[in-house]
Amino acid sequence: MPTFKLDDREIPFEPGDTIIRAARRSGIDIPHYCWHPGLTVAANCRMCLVEILPPPGRPALSLAVLSYDSKTGEYVDQKKPKLQPACQMAVAEGMEVKSESSEHVDRARSSVQELLLLNHPVDCPICDQAGECRLQDYWLEHQHKSKRMKDEPVHKPKGVVFGPTIVYDAERCIACTRCIRFCDEVAKDPVLTLRERGNLNEIAVAPGRQLDNAYTLMTEYVCPVGALTASDFRFKARVWFLRSARTVCQGCSTGCNAFLDYDPRTSTAYRYRPRENMAVNKYWMCDEGMLDYRRVHDGRVLRAAIDGEASTVGVALDRAVKLLGGVAPDGLAVILSAQHSNEDNFAFAKVARDVLGASKFFVGGRPPGEGDQVLREADKNPNTRGATSFAGPAPGSMKDFGDAIAGGKITAVFALGSELRELEASVLGRLGSAVVLATHEGPLAERAAVLLPTSSFAESDGTFVNSKGMAQDSEQALGPLGDSRPAWKLAAALAARLGRDFGWRKLADVQKAMGPDGGVAAERGSAQAGAAS
Amino acid sequence: MARALLELLKKTFAGAVLESWSQHGDETAVIEPSRWHDVAAFLKTSSESDMSMLTDLTAVDFPDRNPRFEVVAHFYSLSKGHRVRLKARIGDPAGEHVHIPSLSDLWGSANWLERECWDMFGVVFVGHPDLRRILLYPEFVGHPLRKDYPADRIQPLVEYRDVPAIDKVAPFHHDEGMSFGRQTFDHIGSADGDDPELFPGQKAN
Amino acid sequence: MEPIDQDLYEHEIDLPAEPMLLNVGPAHPAMHGTVRCVMELTGESIVKVDVQVGYLHRGFEKMCERGTWTQVYPYVDRCNYISPMLNNVAFSLACEKMLGIEVPERCQWYRMALGELARMSDHLTCDGAMAMELGAFTPFLWMIKAREMIWDIMEEETGARLTHSFGRVGGMAFPPTAGFKETSRATVDQILKVVEEVERLLLGNRIFLDRLEGVGIVSPEDAISLGWTGPCLRASGVPYDIRKSHPYLKYGEVEFDVPVGQTGDCFDRFMVRIEELKQSARIILQCLERMADSGPVNVDDPRVTLPDKKDVYSTIEGTIRHFKIVMEGLKIPAGEVYSYTEAGNGELGFYLVSDGSGTPYRVRIRPPCFLITSGLERVITGQMIADVVPCFGSLNMIGGECDR
Repeated sequence: MPTFKLDDREIPFEPGDTIIRAARRSGIDIPHYCWHPGLTVAANCRMCLVEILPPPGRPALSLAVLSYDSKTGEYVDQKKPKLQPACQMAVAEGMEVKSESSEHVDRARSSVQELLLLNHPVDCPICDQAGECRLQDYWLEHQHKSKRMKDEPVHKPKGVVFGPTIVYDAERCIACTRCIRFCDEVAKDPVLTLRERGNLNEIAVAPGRQLDNAYTLMTEYVCPVGALTASDFRFKARVWFLRSARTVCQGCSTGCNAFLDYDPRTSTAYRYRPRENMAVNKYWMCDEGMLDYRRVHDGRVLRAAIDGEASTVGVALDRAVKLLGGVAPDGLAVILSAQHSNEDNFAFAKVARDVLGASKFFVGGRPPGEGDQVLREADKNPNTRGATSFAGPAPGSMKDFGDAIAGGKITAVFALGSELRELEASVLGRLGSAVVLATHEGPLAERAAVLLPTSSFAESDGTFVNSKGMAQDSEQALGPLGDSRPAWKLAAALAARLGRDFGWRKLADVQKAMGPDGGVAAERGSAQAGAAS
Repeated sequence: MARALLELLKKTFAGAVLESWSQHGDETAVIEPSRWHDVAAFLKTSSESDMSMLTDLTAVDFPDRNPRFEVVAHFYSLSKGHRVRLKARIGDPAGEHVHIPSLSDLWGSANWLERECWDMFGVVFVGHPDLRRILLYPEFVGHPLRKDYPADRIQPLVEYRDVPAIDKVAPFHHDEGMSFGRQTFDHIGSADGDDPELFPGQKAN
Repeated sequence: MEPIDQDLYEHEIDLPAEPMLLNVGPAHPAMHGTVRCVMELTGESIVKVDVQVGYLHRGFEKMCERGTWTQVYPYVDRCNYISPMLNNVAFSLACEKMLGIEVPERCQWYRMALGELARMSDHLTCDGAMAMELGAFTPFLWMIKAREMIWDIMEEETGARLTHSFGRVGGMAFPPTAGFKETSRATVDQILKVVEEVERLLLGNRIFLDRLEGVGIVSPEDAISLGWTGPCLRASGVPYDIRKSHPYLKYGEVEFDVPVGQTGDCFDRFMVRIEELKQSARIILQCLERMADSGPVNVDDPRVTLPDKKDVYSTIEGTIRHFKIVMEGLKIPAGEVYSYTEAGNGELGFYLVSDGSGTPYRVRIRPPCFLITSGLERVITGQMIADVVPCFGSLNMIGGECDR
């Protein structure tokens, strides 16, 4: 492995790496604003300047500068080395780079930081980026002095609506062009550009257009300062009150890795942030997925119901036991959910198969939507492959389910989740008794004889298998909301009341029962936290 | 002068001194837990160190490390005016096997200091004459200064001792009172928690 | 019926004899703060005693782990709440030791002056309460009157009489007021007069002396082994004062004596405090003389000191600095330190462990009177019940510091 020296440390690198990328691989952070590992290099912020020692035998590339000597009060000639941007400079074997240990680099960083803050508005108290803002962090680390400018800062438009999801504040913008490069390269929609020059720089949307592609929230995510803000999250929460759980996006079967940011004091989920996973979603997530966090709270079933009347979980469980106990196994349809985790589906299917003797399995979920070549899949369920694998050798589709009901072959339904894909809800008109474990309101939940409130993905750990067959772990964020319980727990309780107690009291018990491969032929994906730039 | 003491310790107890360093003017040595008492006795009796006082004995919990706990003792010599900090690392990440020899036969101050350490961290001092809780009441459940003990946990109500017919007011429920705090909010139920509504016979979480 | 005047010898009578359990409970006027002593008595003498502390345990060390470094100050205030300035200064010194910064000279003199005033307040309370518990109510009121004068100064300087949270890492919350020097000089004068009057009242009193002299003797070896420091240790004859042995702030540059007792009885502990009052007065006057009348009080380090409010509201740098220090806490590099100063009761130590973030990882307060109270057993056992009161009073156990 070829190596180079950074601050007298040997750092390995791969051929073609720039200094900043090689350093990042080794966990060293060179301060930067405009560079992003997933975008091309712009080198316009000049924050990552480092000193590169000349190769042996060559003189240093140096500049003649005038520096102010405070003792004599005069400007004196001095030589300082020409610093290079680490984001652009390719690494060569044996290169010697000085980052923190060079006083020239120190002064350069301090000057760049001073420049960036010259016209910056005093917005910290109202800026959403406060707490995760690079200007704040780098100011304290690298500059920690006041600026020398005494003039009035330049004023620019604030609160410019770029599109349905993004609001732009030109005064906070440092013109790093990350948003422009993102739209150009990743979203493949070159709608943003930089206008005017010098300190009048602003980001502008192409005339006649809005920032409305499918990945607009990523521009907010790559923005290192508070210039681009998401109107969905604007002024909702302060980030230092939020904690992050490492979850998997539930929007489609790509299974992008995400951080779910929630406030533990009120058990509220506030937003998603993408989590780096080079094998799945690299550094990005789509707008649909980013806004999918709302499903943690919107439209939830949080109380048990018997025939539409509110009830408690204990009473509803007893009623469910009575209903299911007297049902002929032939007429029982079991619907698994592509929206639920492997553990939920496994526990549900096992109870249905071993305790209730059912043999008719179907897999439900959200109807398909729009997919594209960048990140999104048409299948809008996070765990289709996982759910299907527990549905036995010949699971039926929702169409088969509709036919079976029409043909009167179904007398009872035991369902996980209340989504029926493309099936028309009216088909359910002639349904017999239905015991539904639902997280959200839906056609099945409305017609349930017994409705048991189920916890969503955010309220329990779980495993989800994406379209590529990778099984990914999702971490619990909130405690179970309302009266809801995880589906595996409700299934275990039902089984216990029906006389077969599997002894599942913790998720680990269910996972043990699933076996080492989880009963699913899937490649174990990584859920390790990847912090993106 | 305490640096010379560290050198002396390393020479005398070659195998027992695992690490040593100086920082901010303090000298620290990490000791093998089984030799804790020997090293401390040497510090007290040897004429070069003459540690007449055990000024402080406490512990620090590092839940990500194995061994998890660090018992930290500070010694001071009245005659020589030097100090040294001894540490010993004990306990596994689950919080078991947390024991270390007691120093109460060497210094009287160890008696209460070790009792407090037991109370707050659950460190068992082997050979202590009277290891019971000192700052908390005897029915207290848990060891509060451990990092996995959430600061806002409600303790179970203690049965009032043998005084009949006195009303006790219930403590604050966890969602009453001040909610702002920086770190622990672990009163929020885990999906794994006990659930008597689903499994009658379990206790409430 | 037997004649009443017949001599009855005790050994001829079969009297039931079992030790009596007396509970001097947590709610007791003589149990400073809340301490419970369960005593086993034969007659009047104490055979065994179990000292139970912890009634004032508020979980400070756990609470400190939940905020920032600056948010620790209210907690340390409420440790030794009779001399809170000494606790503030001690914690500031501990953090500054870890950061490697030194406060400006003006602040050092200021801290010393306020600290010694707090020490005077501590000793006045202790001795006054001791006297009161022995029946001498008047000196108590006089000493409380003197203490009120100190607290008036504190109120003027910090805004609060008692728990002022005035210390900051890198300085103090506010610079001294214009009238500080004058008022302090006048107050110190007054207090010395009060002390003189109290001495005249008490030190010639036969009952007072009888109840204190020879009672609760602690040998120097016992005191050292128990980890005693401060006036109680010095009363037993060990001349250990951190201000002299390991000077911090500017204690090396002021002249003062350290009173040392001879027998280690309650009277010595009482007198050591009276003498320390006079020495504290000396220190304060020297500090006031040497303290500059202008100049910065806080070190000018953007990592630790808050900026001026006008900068916060008008410049982005001021806002960012304020934001980082307040919201994330000042970042003390990872490491640990043990810093010790001479507080009212002895060596107040802070063992701080930092993990590099703005939140303390572990704040251990080494409470001097926790160790002193652990010696209470040894002091009382063998004494008579009536001696418990002066013994316990002379130890100056402050519940807030003992239990935290």
